[in-house]
Amino acid sequence: MPAEALHTSAADVPDDAPAIETTGLTKRFGERTAVQGVDLLVPRGSAFGFLGPNGAGKTTTIRMLLGLTGASAGEMRVLGHPVPAERGIALERVGAVVENPNFHPYLSGVENLRIVAAVRGPEAAGRIASALARVGLSERADDKVKNYSQGMRQRLGVARCLLADPLLLILDEPTNGLDPGGIQEFREMIRAMVEQEGRTVFLSSHLLDEVEKICDVAAIVDRGRIITQGPIAELAEGGARHELIVGVDDAEQALSVLHASQLVREASRSDEGIRVILSGDASGAAEINAALVRAGVGVARLEPVRHSLEQRFLEITSRLDAPPPDAPASEPHEQVRT
Amino acid sequence: MTAIALRMTGADLLKLRKKRGTLIWVLVLALLPVVVLFAVKAIQHSSNPVKYEAAGGTGGFTDGLRLLCLFFGPLAAILVGVEAGTGDASAGVFRDLVVTGRSRLALFASRVPAALGVCWAVMISGYVLVLLGTFAFASNLPTPDTALVLNGFAFTLLSTGVVCVVAVGFASLTTSKPAAITALIGWQLVASPLIANISSLGSGRDAVLSQAIAHFSPVHVGGGRGETVIMAQGTGLLVIVAWLAVFLALGAWRTRTMDA
Repeated sequence: MPAEALHTSAADVPDDAPAIETTGLTKRFGERTAVQGVDLLVPRGSAFGFLGPNGAGKTTTIRMLLGLTGASAGEMRVLGHPVPAERGIALERVGAVVENPNFHPYLSGVENLRIVAAVRGPEAAGRIASALARVGLSERADDKVKNYSQGMRQRLGVARCLLADPLLLILDEPTNGLDPGGIQEFREMIRAMVEQEGRTVFLSSHLLDEVEKICDVAAIVDRGRIITQGPIAELAEGGARHELIVGVDDAEQALSVLHASQLVREASRSDEGIRVILSGDASGAAEINAALVRAGVGVARLEPVRHSLEQRFLEITSRLDAPPPDAPASEPHEQVRT
Repeated sequence: MTAIALRMTGADLLKLRKKRGTLIWVLVLALLPVVVLFAVKAIQHSSNPVKYEAAGGTGGFTDGLRLLCLFFGPLAAILVGVEAGTGDASAGVFRDLVVTGRSRLALFASRVPAALGVCWAVMISGYVLVLLGTFAFASNLPTPDTALVLNGFAFTLLSTGVVCVVAVGFASLTTSKPAAITALIGWQLVASPLIANISSLGSGRDAVLSQAIAHFSPVHVGGGRGETVIMAQGTGLLVIVAWLAVFLALGAWRTRTMDA
């Protein structure tokens, strides 16, 4: 079990508890509602992407989870402990970088870590060297932080998280300021933390590509609401929509067959062939192929369309930007299996 | 003090020790005036021994103690206290300490002994300089006895320690270094003497911290017992305790409740 690498205190962290669980989490600043009724479920041992445009309420949600600011309504549990009631216990095994990682610039990297280790507890001081090595800063550990690049500060921020030997890492826009090589290294480090060490990573980002490449599960947030959440693949598929590209020798004949089939919701020509949206799940593809062959249509290609999270995200945000339909005031809230 | 509190205080000490800009100013404020005082008095005495008595002795001790405890020492103490009270917030690090789950009150509490540690280390150096000047330049003048030396030492710790702790509380309340320094130095140098000299305020002037502190001076530092406002010893003690309690409570409250 990968989590064996962690010094889990069974008494403090229930094994079956989700890493993060919120119900109806709301934050208001005067008249403005920054976060509204957020229900989050972050499974343990996953890389969870918290995806949304700037100003969507991602950082405010994180700040509430960490007890940096109070919630106006709702409930939160971090590693099974209610926050803020048991905030101290809940955060013992949580490492977090919120917005930009800040340090005392006149102190060296290792001195900054010593300060946090002193606050964390006696075991944390023993992890300083390994944390610095993990993020590749051992050789620059004695340099003053004011001489660090933004990328080095980001890495030092992660090292600071590792002092807690965290079961849960909360990283807010962690690749800000990293060059492409640094981003790649960072992705690999996060994946290793999840896959080899059994840690949970909650990663907030406005970068679709970043979330898609790092995370297993994600929630899309916009204007303070969770629009949808679930495994990345299911989010990209949009939950219920399955599409095919069909290459045939007789498009007219094929279209008439497809329009007559109850398995097909929509069929139309496209540059790549005939684009088919299935009524049901992906298993209908085989029956459609058989129906076309029975009708004498030669099928040269039948390929499921793989949606990217980016397409899905744009669909969602386009829908939100559209004038509101005559629907109840609440936003659509899809709950995909997590 | 628990082990974790000791480690946190050590961390706060590290932050203050390494803040060279502030530390240099603290050293300059605490030590340089004492050096200048004895140097000037020694030069005057050597140039005209009839007109100017020796730089040291009880007179030199009195002047040095006044300078250290009632004027420049408190200013240095303010700088240390404000740095301790605002350092984490102004560097943006307070948030990162809060997310460790450690109690915010514990974070606040560790600032106080650390600030006192730095402040007193500097002030003790200043007091040693006063004693050096007092005895080295005494010539044939009487020198302070052991009791006065010990009382002077205690007064050095009291006068600067109280101001330093008040500064930690006030700076934690404002979370702004420039605002806290301006307000506290303005209060110490301008408002306090001004209020103390408005006799129409009567016993209301007892509440001025510098007057209450001066009441415990072991040497004559002005009119009467050394303070502008005459008050009972118990009143002086009460005023000092009230200042400490109010500003520690305000600083702790702000640290506990502010958005990080």
